[in-house]
Amino acid sequence: MTESNHHHEKCRELFERLSEYLDRELDEETCSEIEAHIDRCEPCKVCMKTLKRTVDVCRNLKQEQVPPDFSRHLRELIGQLAEGGKRG
Amino acid sequence: MPQNWKPEIKKDEDYELVQAINAGRADRFEELINRYEQKIYNFSLRMCNDVQDAEDMVQETFLNVFKYLGGFRYETKLKNWIYRIAASACIKRRRKSKFAPEKELSLDEFMPGEGEGAPREIPDWANVPLDRLLDEELSSIVKAGIDSLPDKYRMILMLRDIEGFSTAEAAQILDLTESNVKVRLHRARLYLRDRLKDYFDHDRIESPS
Repeated sequence: MTESNHHHEKCRELFERLSEYLDRELDEETCSEIEAHIDRCEPCKVCMKTLKRTVDVCRNLKQEQVPPDFSRHLRELIGQLAEGGKRG
Repeated sequence: MPQNWKPEIKKDEDYELVQAINAGRADRFEELINRYEQKIYNFSLRMCNDVQDAEDMVQETFLNVFKYLGGFRYETKLKNWIYRIAASACIKRRRKSKFAPEKELSLDEFMPGEGEGAPREIPDWANVPLDRLLDEELSSIVKAGIDSLPDKYRMILMLRDIEGFSTAEAAQILDLTESNVKVRLHRARLYLRDRLKDYFDHDRIESPS
């Protein structure tokens, strides 16, 4: 179904569950239904691919370094508490 | 509940270190900082969007971990417990500094256009290998996109897609239901996807090829 009206009920249903599909949180039957729909519906395929890419980009973002001065300060602070035995 | 019931202990990669610290080796707490400092700093930085505030949040988190580690009973992984402390510190901090109600993201605003407006071709940015796409500029765009998410969506996206927690873990860390986590995550991803789409459609000088 390559809907000319993308607000087709099936498209909306799928749109609501795309993240669960990408996260493999749906049962096998629902996954198969989604895959069959995506094969026939280009707008939904684009939606799924672009959402997947967004998630991939997030998962591969580089972490920023902790400022060294702060890092040193944090260790000193904890070190002092450790020496003083100030535990809860 | 049976009289001899005890919560299940979730031994993880931190178990031995925590046992040692709690047995009197407080000097080994630094090892724990080494393990989690960068992660908590990055989480805090995205949540506060300010280096000084992020540093304060990291400090508050580790001070609390240090103070309460003796009472930690391994009913969850240590990592999850630390993030729970960090998330609470963050929520508390933002409550103090902001009074405006948070914007709700509705699913309808992300639904692709109708008829001819619905995109039918997969854009290059969703097709090329990821390593050819992810450069400094795109990283900044994504981080700015995350920073502009309303708090309650941003925290879920951070825990799920940046820190890699499962839906159940994120729900536990934030005291939310799993379905609430799923709804917020989906909207946060759609929001971010639109930011990426705008960037590749309008702002990027050259499309990746």
